[in-house]
Amino acid sequence: MTILKKTTVLAVAGALLSGAASAAIAEDYTISVWAGGSGDESDYRVKAIEIAADLYEREAAIRGEEVNITVETQLFSGWDDFKQAVTLAAESGTAPNIIVSGHEDIGPWVQAGILRPVEDYVDFDAWPLNQLYENLIQVSSYDGKIWGIPQDAESRVFFFWREHLEAVGYSKEEIDALPKKVLDGEYTLYSMLDDVKKMQDAGLVEEAKGFMPRISNGPDYWQFYQSFGGEMVDEESGKLVFDKQALTDMYQFFVDAVDKGVVPATYLGGDWDTWHGAVSSGKAGAWHGGTWHYAQWTQKNGLDDFFGKIVYTLIPAGNERGRANAITHPLVYLLSNTGTDDDAALAAELVSIASEPRINALHAVKSSHLAIGREEINVPLYAESRWATEATENLLPHANALPNDADFGVVWTAMYKGLEASWTGVSSVADAVEAAEQSVVSALGDKVIVRDGGM
Amino acid sequence: MRSHTSKLGLLLVSPAIILLAIFFLTPALLTGVFSFTNMSSSTGISGGAWVITPNLLRELSDDGISPATIEALRDESYSVDEGSLAAARAAGVAAEFADEIASKLSGQRFASDSEFMSALKTLRTRPRRVRDLKLAMEPFTRSVLNIRFETEAAARLAIEQVVPDIDAGELERIVERSYTGWKWTSENYSKLFSSPETLRIVFNTVFYVAMTLAFNVLVGLFLAITTFYLPRRTGGFFSLIWLLPRITPVVLYAIMWKWFTWDDGFVAALAGQLGLPSFNYMKGSVPSAWTIVILVNGFIGASFGMILFSGALRAIPVQQLWASEVDGATRWQQVRHIILPQLRWPILFVTSYQTLSLLTSYQEIWLTTNGGPGNTTAVWALEAFRTALFNYSGSLQYGLGAAMALVLVAVGMVLSIIYLRLFRFDELVSKPKIEF
Repeated sequence: MTILKKTTVLAVAGALLSGAASAAIAEDYTISVWAGGSGDESDYRVKAIEIAADLYEREAAIRGEEVNITVETQLFSGWDDFKQAVTLAAESGTAPNIIVSGHEDIGPWVQAGILRPVEDYVDFDAWPLNQLYENLIQVSSYDGKIWGIPQDAESRVFFFWREHLEAVGYSKEEIDALPKKVLDGEYTLYSMLDDVKKMQDAGLVEEAKGFMPRISNGPDYWQFYQSFGGEMVDEESGKLVFDKQALTDMYQFFVDAVDKGVVPATYLGGDWDTWHGAVSSGKAGAWHGGTWHYAQWTQKNGLDDFFGKIVYTLIPAGNERGRANAITHPLVYLLSNTGTDDDAALAAELVSIASEPRINALHAVKSSHLAIGREEINVPLYAESRWATEATENLLPHANALPNDADFGVVWTAMYKGLEASWTGVSSVADAVEAAEQSVVSALGDKVIVRDGGM
Repeated sequence: MRSHTSKLGLLLVSPAIILLAIFFLTPALLTGVFSFTNMSSSTGISGGAWVITPNLLRELSDDGISPATIEALRDESYSVDEGSLAAARAAGVAAEFADEIASKLSGQRFASDSEFMSALKTLRTRPRRVRDLKLAMEPFTRSVLNIRFETEAAARLAIEQVVPDIDAGELERIVERSYTGWKWTSENYSKLFSSPETLRIVFNTVFYVAMTLAFNVLVGLFLAITTFYLPRRTGGFFSLIWLLPRITPVVLYAIMWKWFTWDDGFVAALAGQLGLPSFNYMKGSVPSAWTIVILVNGFIGASFGMILFSGALRAIPVQQLWASEVDGATRWQQVRHIILPQLRWPILFVTSYQTLSLLTSYQEIWLTTNGGPGNTTAVWALEAFRTALFNYSGSLQYGLGAAMALVLVAVGMVLSIIYLRLFRFDELVSKPKIEF
């Protein structure tokens, strides 16, 4: 079963013919791979394909085939420009063979016909794909098919500066016990606001710098929605959920943080370099980020003794409706519909090779991401990384993922616009929720379940 | 003679007409067409296909399609029988492999893809490449699930093969709902008119255009007049400096503003020295962000005004100024009674031209505040761009963005007509009253 039935007969015939022809004929392939949201530290997202191509060529040579693969790579540092480039290139038939993107893009891109289902090209019951974590395969699936191969995993984390906690009265033992208190819901987001306010009042951190959340849109903000009891998907019907009560409480939390003076009303839209510099040097009391930020802070910002200076927890619960949580936002290797079926088959095999533990560990450790499969922990490079192993054990079991749904982007955009409007004080919380609801309902109708949770 | 002239005229303007058609009319027309669709990154632009997916089946089941039909459409089983073996051979599956399937698996039925795959993997003659194995499996199933049918007829036929006795009404509904592409709709406009966000963005846009325009014209005029009174070389030097914002590449210009206003930048340092709040003036407060947005755009526009006004000033007969000086006029009286009246047309031109270009400009805002802090400095053109082509979640709503862009085209055209009337453009281009 394939998505491109028309080409089936031709492809089979082609495959048989090529098999019958002399094995000595060289086959030349050019495979392009683009990765979004990637910088120097995450370049193994594309380099892994180059390594895989090299291995493939060597294996082919041993079988007596001559295969020459040219891998063309491109890294995009942002997401906006990357997604624009991929969607527009796909419309003109020039998308790269392999796309490395967030799993949430699978829904819309499948509907648009940009992707080929990777399960039609590789065997998930064979090594190395059979050792990938089952939940990551789920995250790479949509509407009954596996569309992508997990490229990495991560978790989003809440961080506290130990020294400041100590200065406002926490003992070392209490600080070490903080992750457990967060997990149990005893320490909430509002407890955190109180603590960072104390830090500001004690002059440990500057005014309005006690709490430094993410400066821009990202999956992170859905964690706060979950902290206040929001669900993104209704488990029973599989439909998207817009929980007005959770959204109201979440928006209100950031407004309260502004009123308390621990974060500015004009915070969103700041600069990443400034943010990294501040949080990695104790200029903030509490903040949240991703497991991969560890690489940035320790390699670029000069943070030494991460574990001695920072304590990390799940995102605390906001109130009794919610729970402590984390969101994982795995990237996936996707096969575009560009090129021939043979190109796609080769691209899929390269991705499969790139998912071998040793190759994937290069990316995981260099960029502080987490393993995609069970066997990666056996790779010494990965096993030696304290952060990788700790984060895998302590955070990942509590993490869920964004829904793979073609329409989730609409809800996401509305959620963030409302957050911006209420945070900056342009709208009241109630008006911001109202506007977000209107935008979601007018776009999606009964594809979204609006819960008002007793509002 | 007259007809020759008009033909020549037509010939001369034809390049302009062609360029206008290609670069203005066609895009505007396409924007109009797009705006009446729900085109997005999930529907694609070039057209959709017909796909039956498990999610769709669940929705159809909720909508009352009979359980038998849903069950048949959900079936993903593989059967090895004479028919499917013949189909496999016809599709080019290697004879040896087909023979082995026939001898070992004939008469068997497999409930899923993975079950059949596991069975095939036990065969000795199976192809080495996974892809070839998957392709060889296809003729053994009649499942329509997750197959992308490029035409409606193909989808209809496939459904009818799987559910031969399907009710005609059901078939219609299934085919209609399975379409993945865009549809015609006027909802983009109703959404724009009903959204509370719209009013805020309109207000932002009016504020931005009015303030920047005022800056452009007034500073442009001030610069032109002051440099006019300076010695020619000195005046030329200052004019050149004021041209820098215009000739600097926009990305570089934006980066320089960022450095200038950054947390530890010049403005913050200076403010700190003066005892004023020291922070990121570009993004740290709404009033300062607006000030920066207006200045960033204002300096570019001011140099444009300055050039035009300077040119127009040079055209004023200098004898008029000499005469006024003889009469004892002050500089201000010269400006008020001689210069400004004669700059009427250039001022009107700069005002109207800049209004239209500011309405559609977003790149400087995008590269500096990016509509922030929050979304407080977002203007209509920036919102249209982000809705249609550039946002974090990658949910590009081409249709809605096109509707927003078309509103700008309409506003621009209405304003052009108003300006032309208000400034009596016909007088400017009318034939001279005295024939030379």
